[in-house]
Amino acid sequence: MAVVTAPAPNVVAARADRSRWARALRYPETVTGLAIVAVLFTAGILAPLIAPYGVDAQSSDSFAGMSAQHLLGTDEFGRDVLSRVLYGIRQDVLVTAVAVPVGAVLGTLLGLMCGAHRIVDTIIQRVFDVMLAFTALVLGVAVSATAVGPGMTAIIITVVLVNVPLFGRLTRTAVQSQRARDYVMAAEVVGAGRIRILLRHILPNAMDALIVQIALSLSLAVFIEGAMSFVGIGVRPPAPSLGALLRTSANFLEQNPWYALGPIVVVTGLVLGFNLIADGLNRGLLRR
Amino acid sequence: MLRYALRRCPSALLVLVVASVVVFTVPRLAEGDAADVLAGPDATATTREAVRHDLGLDRSPVVQYVLWARGLLTGDLGTSYILKRPAAEAIGTALGQTITLTVAALLLAMALGGAAGIALGVVRRRSATRVVGGLVSVAFALPPYVSGVLLVLLFAVSIKLLPAVGYVPLHEDPDIAVQYLIMPALCLSLPFAAVLARFLAASVRQVMDEDFVRTGVAKGLSSRRLVFAHVVPNALPPVLTILGIQVGQLLGGAIVVEAIFGWHGIGDLLVNSVLTRDYVLVQDLLLFTVVVFVVVQTLTDLAHAAVDPRVRLEA
Repeated sequence: MAVVTAPAPNVVAARADRSRWARALRYPETVTGLAIVAVLFTAGILAPLIAPYGVDAQSSDSFAGMSAQHLLGTDEFGRDVLSRVLYGIRQDVLVTAVAVPVGAVLGTLLGLMCGAHRIVDTIIQRVFDVMLAFTALVLGVAVSATAVGPGMTAIIITVVLVNVPLFGRLTRTAVQSQRARDYVMAAEVVGAGRIRILLRHILPNAMDALIVQIALSLSLAVFIEGAMSFVGIGVRPPAPSLGALLRTSANFLEQNPWYALGPIVVVTGLVLGFNLIADGLNRGLLRR
Repeated sequence: MLRYALRRCPSALLVLVVASVVVFTVPRLAEGDAADVLAGPDATATTREAVRHDLGLDRSPVVQYVLWARGLLTGDLGTSYILKRPAAEAIGTALGQTITLTVAALLLAMALGGAAGIALGVVRRRSATRVVGGLVSVAFALPPYVSGVLLVLLFAVSIKLLPAVGYVPLHEDPDIAVQYLIMPALCLSLPFAAVLARFLAASVRQVMDEDFVRTGVAKGLSSRRLVFAHVVPNALPPVLTILGIQVGQLLGGAIVVEAIFGWHGIGDLLVNSVLTRDYVLVQDLLLFTVVVFVVVQTLTDLAHAAVDPRVRLEA
């Protein structure tokens, strides 16, 4: 994406940019991370097609161990754990695909607005201070205490609210560091408007840091979904979600230790996968 | 130093005041209010109005806010409608467990993260740093609700070494209390230890390249003395800021950890008061977490300024 939008005054710079991306995407950590996330998310999206049983299909066989019929065993109602884990991934697909982009765009816009005027900057900065004073999970509790109530909507709103100040601060810092650069002054001299300079010149140069943050935020989103559902203010049973599954399985570890295995592997895989992607992009794009 | 402190405080106070307004508004954005909960679903409109009047909820929001804020400043946190006792009392009881948990986790994180960070920063042997670095990455990627369940599976279910859930106060029976404390504290400390290790390692590596370290090597200092007397003290200040942010987030982590191990601390109280719509407690507890965050943050900044004159002179 940035390859297209980055202002490339000449072909040499464009080629350097492309090779930087190609390198970042070829690092082992990026490849591993992308592979893990791709496999898990594809499995989640295809859940209705590939899940061996329905989400709520009960059987008389509760707390069964791993077997050919039930690869990850069954839960307290005899439901197939593998099927529920696959459906649970869909909640994370939703959160990462909806909440992170929305939060990123809102935060970036607010961060750019900081560059518009000193008073605007001060106000937005103070708003970010207040937002950051609520740590992610506390913010989740606050959101679920409003009319939104516990549930998927609360998770999405929380993830958006958590990401806004993260992207806002990052963009603001980038704007300030770029502003004194020669190319910005050159653009000003040529007579480019303030908004044009922000969007066409400064934002593309801040893009690398924002993209690394997106990867980190995706990992954070999976973490928040899990935490909120685990604590009971997110997705609530009987709807399947990785956090809720983990919580229920924790109550039955004595009866069926294998119950927790699926959610554990998938949550860890997703968080680790997104972290690895962030590491790779960070190494390839930001370290000079 | 005092000048820096005085300059730093107004913005912290502003955050607290705005946050208190936000926190006050949150329960009022819910469907129905405490009077509905208290009067029950079958109550008539007149009963509900009477209850609402008793609780003072029929007054204007501004008056309610002022009364609440004045109460907070005089130590009166209001009364929990659901628990039927002063909110301060409920919070006080829960606080003991949370403090035990967070302090233990913090100490553990500093010990584990400190050791791993220094090792990663100093040791040059690749095989050794790979192992420690790998462990740090895993600890970093394990959310507490995953590591908690893993710990229970390992130490409570398969080798029945530690109790899975419960809490015993340290002053009642220290030996038993520690058994109940180990897993929750470890679970809460792991991500913090990992973050600490990463930043400390980076900081140590940077200091290792400084000229004074080379001088130390040249004049024949033992490597132990070099690392612990010269490198680590100089590597600590930047890590301090990170530690402050992390400590501010311990309460968030405590919400999850208390849920796993069946503790009844602040996090558990907060979640329960949301689920039972105990609005006074929700309000008080949300503000409490913000206060802790802001105070820790401000203290960290002050500590940073105290050890690093550049910070206090620059700002």
